[in-house]
Amino acid sequence: MNQIKISNALKFAFLAAAILVSGIAISAQSDASQQNKIGRAGTFAIVGARIVTVSGAVIENGTVVIRDGKITAVGVGAAIPSGAERIDGKGLSVFPGMIDASTNMGLAEIPQGANATMDVQEVGTMNANAKAITGINPHSSHINVTRVNGITTVLSHPTGGTVSGQGAVINLNGARQEDMAVVPVHSLVINFPRVTGGGGGFGGGGFGGGQQANFNDLIRRRDEAVEDLKKTFREVEAYAKVVEAYQKDKSLPTPTTSLRLEAMIPYVRGQKPIVFTAERERDIRAIAKFVADTKVKGIIVGGQDAWKAADELKKNNIAVIYTNIYGLPVQQDDPYDYLFEAPSKMLAAGVKFSISTGDTGAEARDLPYHAGLAGAYGLGKDEALKAVTLYPAQILGIDDRLGSIEVGKMANVVVADGDLLDPRTNIKYVFIGGRLIPLTSRHTELFDSFKDRK
Amino acid sequence: MRSKLLMLSFAAICTFFSVAVSGQSYAITNARIVTVSGATIERGTVVVRDGLIHSVGANVSPPADATVFDAAGSTIYPGFIDAASNLGVPAPAAGPGGGGPGGGGGGGGQAAAAAAAAAAQSGSNSNYPAGFRPEVDVLDLIRAGDSQFDANRNAGFTTALSMGRTGIFSGQSAVINLAGNSVSSMTVKAPFAHHISFVTIPGTYPGSLLGTFSALRQIFNDAKRLQEMQRAYAADPKGMRRPETDKSLEALFPVINRQMPVVFSANRELEINRALDFMKEYNLVGIIAGGQEAWKLTDRLKAQNVPVLLSLNFPRRTAAASPDADPETLDILRFRAETPKGPGRLAQAGIKFAFSSGGATSIADYFSGAGKAVEGGLSRDAAIRAMTLGAAEILGVSDRVGSIEAGKIANLVVVKGDLFGRDRFASHVFVDGRLFEQKEQPRPAGPGGRGPGGAAPAAANFGGTYTISIDVPGQPLPATLNLQQQGTAITGTMVSQLGTSPISNGRATGNGFSFSATVQFGGASIDITVQGAVSGANVSGTVDSPQGNIPFTGTRNP
Amino acid sequence: MRKTTVFLTIVSLLMISPTLLVGQSKGDLLIKNATVMTATKGTLEGTDILVQNGKIARIGKGLTAGSGVRTIDATGKYVTPGIIDAHSHAMVSAINEGSLAVTSMTRIDDMLNPSDISIYRALAGGVTGALLLHGSANPIGGQSTTVKFKWGRPVNEFPVAGAPPGIKFALGENVKRSSSTPQPGQTPRYPRTRMGTMEVIRDAFIRAREYKQAWDDFRAKKTRVQPRIDEELQPMVEILEGKRKVHCHGYRSDEHLNILRIAEEFGFKIGTLQHGLEAFKIAPEIAKHGAGVSIFADSWSYKLEAYDSTPYTGYVLWKNGVNVSINSDSAERIRRLNLDAAKMMKYGGVPEQDSLRMITLNPAIQLGIDNRTGSIDVGKDADIAIWSGHPFSSLSLCEMTIIEGEVYFDRAKDKTMREQLAKEKADLEKLEMNRAPGSGGTQPRVPTERDRGHYSHGDEDGGHER
Repeated sequence: MNQIKISNALKFAFLAAAILVSGIAISAQSDASQQNKIGRAGTFAIVGARIVTVSGAVIENGTVVIRDGKITAVGVGAAIPSGAERIDGKGLSVFPGMIDASTNMGLAEIPQGANATMDVQEVGTMNANAKAITGINPHSSHINVTRVNGITTVLSHPTGGTVSGQGAVINLNGARQEDMAVVPVHSLVINFPRVTGGGGGFGGGGFGGGQQANFNDLIRRRDEAVEDLKKTFREVEAYAKVVEAYQKDKSLPTPTTSLRLEAMIPYVRGQKPIVFTAERERDIRAIAKFVADTKVKGIIVGGQDAWKAADELKKNNIAVIYTNIYGLPVQQDDPYDYLFEAPSKMLAAGVKFSISTGDTGAEARDLPYHAGLAGAYGLGKDEALKAVTLYPAQILGIDDRLGSIEVGKMANVVVADGDLLDPRTNIKYVFIGGRLIPLTSRHTELFDSFKDRK
Repeated sequence: MRSKLLMLSFAAICTFFSVAVSGQSYAITNARIVTVSGATIERGTVVVRDGLIHSVGANVSPPADATVFDAAGSTIYPGFIDAASNLGVPAPAAGPGGGGPGGGGGGGGQAAAAAAAAAAQSGSNSNYPAGFRPEVDVLDLIRAGDSQFDANRNAGFTTALSMGRTGIFSGQSAVINLAGNSVSSMTVKAPFAHHISFVTIPGTYPGSLLGTFSALRQIFNDAKRLQEMQRAYAADPKGMRRPETDKSLEALFPVINRQMPVVFSANRELEINRALDFMKEYNLVGIIAGGQEAWKLTDRLKAQNVPVLLSLNFPRRTAAASPDADPETLDILRFRAETPKGPGRLAQAGIKFAFSSGGATSIADYFSGAGKAVEGGLSRDAAIRAMTLGAAEILGVSDRVGSIEAGKIANLVVVKGDLFGRDRFASHVFVDGRLFEQKEQPRPAGPGGRGPGGAAPAAANFGGTYTISIDVPGQPLPATLNLQQQGTAITGTMVSQLGTSPISNGRATGNGFSFSATVQFGGASIDITVQGAVSGANVSGTVDSPQGNIPFTGTRNP
Repeated sequence: MRKTTVFLTIVSLLMISPTLLVGQSKGDLLIKNATVMTATKGTLEGTDILVQNGKIARIGKGLTAGSGVRTIDATGKYVTPGIIDAHSHAMVSAINEGSLAVTSMTRIDDMLNPSDISIYRALAGGVTGALLLHGSANPIGGQSTTVKFKWGRPVNEFPVAGAPPGIKFALGENVKRSSSTPQPGQTPRYPRTRMGTMEVIRDAFIRAREYKQAWDDFRAKKTRVQPRIDEELQPMVEILEGKRKVHCHGYRSDEHLNILRIAEEFGFKIGTLQHGLEAFKIAPEIAKHGAGVSIFADSWSYKLEAYDSTPYTGYVLWKNGVNVSINSDSAERIRRLNLDAAKMMKYGGVPEQDSLRMITLNPAIQLGIDNRTGSIDVGKDADIAIWSGHPFSSLSLCEMTIIEGEVYFDRAKDKTMREQLAKEKADLEKLEMNRAPGSGGTQPRVPTERDRGHYSHGDEDGGHER
């Protein structure tokens, strides 16, 4: 690992490093080249398709027109602009691109044994100024692999510590970070302190084993961390006051800039959402109280027990980004379908939620099957689809632009030959920001390279 | 350091001579006599002479030279037998932890225990790693001396199976009497059995439970082969390479020849099944120690004729409650609820079993466990049998101990009150005919207030720091006691120039505290028991070690 | 293979003759009016399956059973063979003996825990059987066990009688301990490279050959002294004799090709290549050797040697005529292997029945138990999963799982049991022995964290003693 000349790899950061280390040169080159395929802009008309608008009724045999990056017409017999590229939608269905509202997309390439490719967690506990948008690798191979399965937008965020940093809502297309950004600096991630054996945090791996820490110490540590967090919030308030006063009256002493505190101002003031990671009822209630006390905009990510705290969540207008339904029930005595049924229980309890993989990136393409699993276990197909399209858009506050097939919205559109949530379904066309995306990825290129080898 | 040890030894010798009187005979009269082997005698006499039971019966008269005790209102039982214990075997230096007899789970102290075992056996030329040496003989580990057995003997125990504490092979065990100034005089039967625990040897092979079974198979295979080769060589050495001498493998010959049993420590159904499978695979005479879920496998136990040394250290919740903790599992809740019903079920199924203390921290747990077993469906007679003759039968010493019969070893206990009740009090205990008399008053209240007077007095708090001086003759030893008290339980450390020792078995007594600890002394581990009486800012008491009792005095720091 | 099937069919016909069935009710069932995906003869609509004595006795329409036989109305439901996972560590107490490079003496059979909740959760995903493997901590791991998940039955009823024995081999990152740094002063375990890995394996086979020779000489009375019964080399000899199947964990194609070459050098055939994330690169060679491959449907990128992978692997191998199964290697993933099979239709376009076979008949073949399970055919064990809809739809769920005619999972029953168990738990918590001590007490259990990412989903048998 040490002998590698990183300087050559700077441009393609982790990916290149990983490839050099693993010595898979042939496929890597082709992969790197295709990563810059950002699709083709144009005017497109998908004609004669079943249109699953999600926000409204399903339209049979309808037309969707995409122009200048937006959806410009939806309906039966919608006018097709001259010069539009016609896509025969017979037997096909049109869906809004899916949104995975909790990932580390572009920040994590190979978690195990290739630390050089990992940019998810900064050093220390208070890292508000760390912004995902400056760490996301637009050329991560995970991006193409994900989007060709119909996921067009994700929230990618850092993890770990107490204040992990700020997440970015990105479209899965673009040669530069700024091209991908839907909301470049979207939300603050707070790994809400809890009693835990170690690691902790998103993907923290949990308790390593062996020696158990003293339980009272853990409780004390949790309580101290909550106090630290509150103290930081007070510091942010004080800091904001000083800075604002100075801006109005330059005769005041010049404040010393703190990037960490500065970054938190819009969140502490409730102008932007804070994403709190939490699973257990006890922790979720603690967050609800924290949100009520500090009057911030809160979102829970994780949320296995969220339905049990529905009252508090509703009262404080906290939505849940429910992650990784694939996980195993945490308690041996939990019903086998405890995590499968949680979304339907949230629905019944009136909790606003979306379904997310919570994945680092490589497996985010399974998002539709996460939703399908919830659908099978009580949520139903329609709500399951909403939980990966419109609901995450609403929770992330981007539903004015994304999440449904509606005129005026950004043209993140997926055309498939069947039910979007069914693993047998093939994605036929993907549009991101109105660009027709090539359905290639590291996977298809490896396939193409070897499928005919005799 | 060495000189101190010598002085301690002198003190010990003096103590023994002051107790022993040769030619002594005793008669206990007017007692209810539970012979176990025969009918209970409602009012009768037992005569003890020359270490043996001389006579027993309703119409026996005390000999003229006998010291007579009128035991009206008391009951005489055969001395109780702890069928699986570590009595006499020093604890590993690193403190408590690591499953004791049938302890089953203890993962925590495993590494430390193995390290201690390795240190203890570092001089071995065995081809096998420490913890995997069947030649280890518990008689080489046991220490002589009466005082280490005080708590058990005062509760009425006269005999125990003593097993090694660590390792997959924890050593060949011995049946010992709980009094004596030499190991040879204490020994009733040795070796009794080989002992196997399903544990690992960290840092080497077998480092996983998976490997433990494979390593066991190989050593049994190799022992069989070595025996065959040695026989062949003995018959005709010419033309054959000389078979090796391997004391580890040779130690297993009696086992593969079914001349000696193998005791497997196994508590849960899973472990017991694995033990039964292994016994079957190698055609071993097997015994289960622990056996708390043995009742689930009565068919197998019966089919393979395997008795159980059943631990009365019944599982109970020890973890504090916290809303932040994970809930307990149904499996463990059921296990705790069902275990006390196990003995009754074993009895009903006709499985041979004996009771053992199973590594309980307090001997009182043994009796409360037996009481719970009775509540759980075991007859009182069966319970008493499992404490006496039943154990002697499994341990192969029923011709010597376990019942009150003329000619047997005079191991007896005279009990006031209900054996399974809180008013139980053993006033006289005979071991090999030696009398240990106990006065009722100074006996400290046990945990949960099982004191002689019934409910425990509301204990004062003896927590705090004490600066003491231990009166080692000619060379006083300063020490500091850091004690914390919760309820009547005391925890903490004892710090001296011999190091810092965590304390165990700590209790608040009526007027002070008592605890055990292990100190390092000249390269050896020494178990001590400390009794202290607190009076205002002053403290005084004794440090009881295998080498004798030493007084201490000191002050309680404000 | 065909002969066996014919023979079994005759046997089963004999077995269902009325005189033999008198008084037998164990493992009798009638499933009515299902859509049956047989895995061998396509999908049969509106079909009944009669199970007698644990075996599939008849498949057809309008079947009837004797009185007292449980009848399951499967109208609108799908029936498939029970899923078989060719790489699992469920119900295994310890999976890695990592102290040595060769631990062929260890046996997963010794480590079975029939009360592991993973078993029940797998049943709830339609899984009836699995190959339980040693971990991948060393080039030659322990002996495997093939089981059916007979939850609630005694442990000795889990192993499948007559299943050929197997053994785990492993190559690559886990074996060479890539992720562990030796402590100062500690000698790292050999091997630390892929070169050394191959030499360890070759050396073990050479020792096994010599060991076998010693026994052959003894049996031929050429030597007087019986050789040692060597727990390590005995299974290696069985491999050389073609009696024990090698299941070889590996990622890179060059490594898997090397193990095929070693097998050819020593004159035996590899049973399965496990994981085989790059198997698509050497599909023709695998086909020629005759090894099966047991893959993850689409896991990748969780470690370096998993980066050059594609979900099209199953298709490429299938196209080359390789027997492919899809495994879980995970207590989590084992519950959704039906969806993994569905992905084979998506990635490359494996036909439906062949996709289904990758989680049923193909693993049964790889495990050598296809004579008795893996498809819905008369004469086979009634190992069956019943689904609310098409098993390849993510919107379907498993409703019932049956092994040898006995119902081991029933979603409806599971739901009714929940209240009962909650009540039992509440009652038990009130008992004295289950109450927390009034004061003090030991450490309670630290809350378990949920696995939130997929770090561990790819390769649960990692290199560590887990």
